[in-house]
Amino acid sequence: MKLRATLPAGVQALLFGSAARLRKLEAELSAELEARGFLEAVLPMVDYFAPYEPLLAPAARAELYRFADRDGELLALRSDFTPMLARLLAPHLAALELPLKLFYRGDVVRCPERGAQSEVEQHQIGGELLGSEGEGPALEREAALACARLLALATGGRAHLVLGFAGVLDDLLVAAVGRERAPELARAVARRERGAARLGASGPTAGTASGGAAAAGAVAVQAAIGEILDQGSPRAGEALGVRGAAALARLEELRRELARIEPTVAVTIDLAEFADFSPLAIAAATGESGGRDFRSYYDGLVLRAYLPGRARPVASGGRYDALFRKLGAQVAAVGFSIRLDALTEPRIQEELS
Amino acid sequence: MIRLALPKGRNLETALAAFAAGGLDLSGLDSAAARDSRRLWHCFPELGCEVLLLKDRDLPLYVGRGVADCGIVGRDVLDEVDGDLLVPLELAGGRSRLSLIGRAGRALPGAGEQVRLATKYPRTAERFLDRQPWSAEILELSGSIELAPLVGLADFILDIVQTGSTLRAHGLAEIERVREIAPCFVVHRAAWQMRRAELAGLLGRLERAGVAA
Repeated sequence: MKLRATLPAGVQALLFGSAARLRKLEAELSAELEARGFLEAVLPMVDYFAPYEPLLAPAARAELYRFADRDGELLALRSDFTPMLARLLAPHLAALELPLKLFYRGDVVRCPERGAQSEVEQHQIGGELLGSEGEGPALEREAALACARLLALATGGRAHLVLGFAGVLDDLLVAAVGRERAPELARAVARRERGAARLGASGPTAGTASGGAAAAGAVAVQAAIGEILDQGSPRAGEALGVRGAAALARLEELRRELARIEPTVAVTIDLAEFADFSPLAIAAATGESGGRDFRSYYDGLVLRAYLPGRARPVASGGRYDALFRKLGAQVAAVGFSIRLDALTEPRIQEELS
Repeated sequence: MIRLALPKGRNLETALAAFAAGGLDLSGLDSAAARDSRRLWHCFPELGCEVLLLKDRDLPLYVGRGVADCGIVGRDVLDEVDGDLLVPLELAGGRSRLSLIGRAGRALPGAGEQVRLATKYPRTAERFLDRQPWSAEILELSGSIELAPLVGLADFILDIVQTGSTLRAHGLAEIERVREIAPCFVVHRAAWQMRRAELAGLLGRLERAGVAA
């Protein structure tokens, strides 16, 4: 048999300097998380498939590598730390002292759809914070600050952190085109299709009432979608409804705080980035995913980080109380993960230097 | 400096005309000299951009991996690859359609019928077939698609139609229009976040020039 050193697409072996760089960075970031009071969790690479079936959206389930053991038990390789930790902790929450801060490091593997260019294997480090329901905003703040600190350490301040809020555009999208077409509009906004703003002009707000009020409403909806596409958020938060305006105000406050505490990390608010992270879009999704990092369980703050020269996010995270609710636990939960393999790629190292 | 990926194929002329209308004069790239030249990487320091000339099918990979910030690529190609690129606008020019094509006089397959369908677009074909009452074995080809129904390799083809003259010359006919195809402006996520002002400026100029759909 001829020996070949090639690996399947989407995976890589780190040898020599690359391995050393990754382990050094992992150690630095782990030490930072420990200093912030996070305790390490070491999780298995293999788990049963069944617990994830009700937890994950069809697109996320499709990413699971599944196989049967010798007894026919269906198992899955770890594709995401968050649901695994959630399903292990949910039955024991009553006995645990909250808030609880955990961190993990290791690989996740995801089976890409045909034609996709994504990496199969990712080496991550991440943190999860659990608290009582009233502690949610404080946990969101703490998670965002920890993520920003880690990004500042890992990238020398070259990272760009994007903040959003899952479902914050739903009222606006429904006002633009009605409930039935809102998921389609959510996906168009997430892809930044500038034509999406024009959809508002023919939507229910424009058509259901007569006179100037309806026309003015349609124009305002259209303008708000245009501003979100161009600048990331509407000039007037009221365009998002009461709940949306409050969420935007919280994001603004967090952005200002992050800018003050981590001045080397650029922080922006971009609601369009997470337009398809909406309960509305997810409820309508039948196997079709939104973005590549689409996760159905976010229901509050969401974040992503980018680096020059790398198209896809190097960090992501958010609030996911809904995941615990599916598991029968009432708790506030926020997490984030950072792609260590992406940060230590030679091309990215070159960009960062 | 923005790095722009442009297709060497049928969309190049449309893209250059659109950019010129938007104030980004990349003329010279479509000249005979440029076409004959083997240069694939062109710098325009005075315009603050550089251009990679790529095959249509490779372009999403260059943008998707962050090597180019943005590019112009046909919707037909985009539909075949990963859906993670942002598509802020489509160009108004250079539009065509993707159609189901067969020999002239051939009707659509009946419900439950199984046929052979040759195409360069297997993922689009799968999505199209999901909506049909009939099914097909998809044969993926890379060129000279029109030949397939003529020599009996396939019953139908799914391909781009611009004027229809090539089809008629081969005794083929459009049986069903599947979707409209336009050149699309694509951007990768990080570029959108990190170069928003430059990109928004360029997109705004294209819109104001009336070259966006």
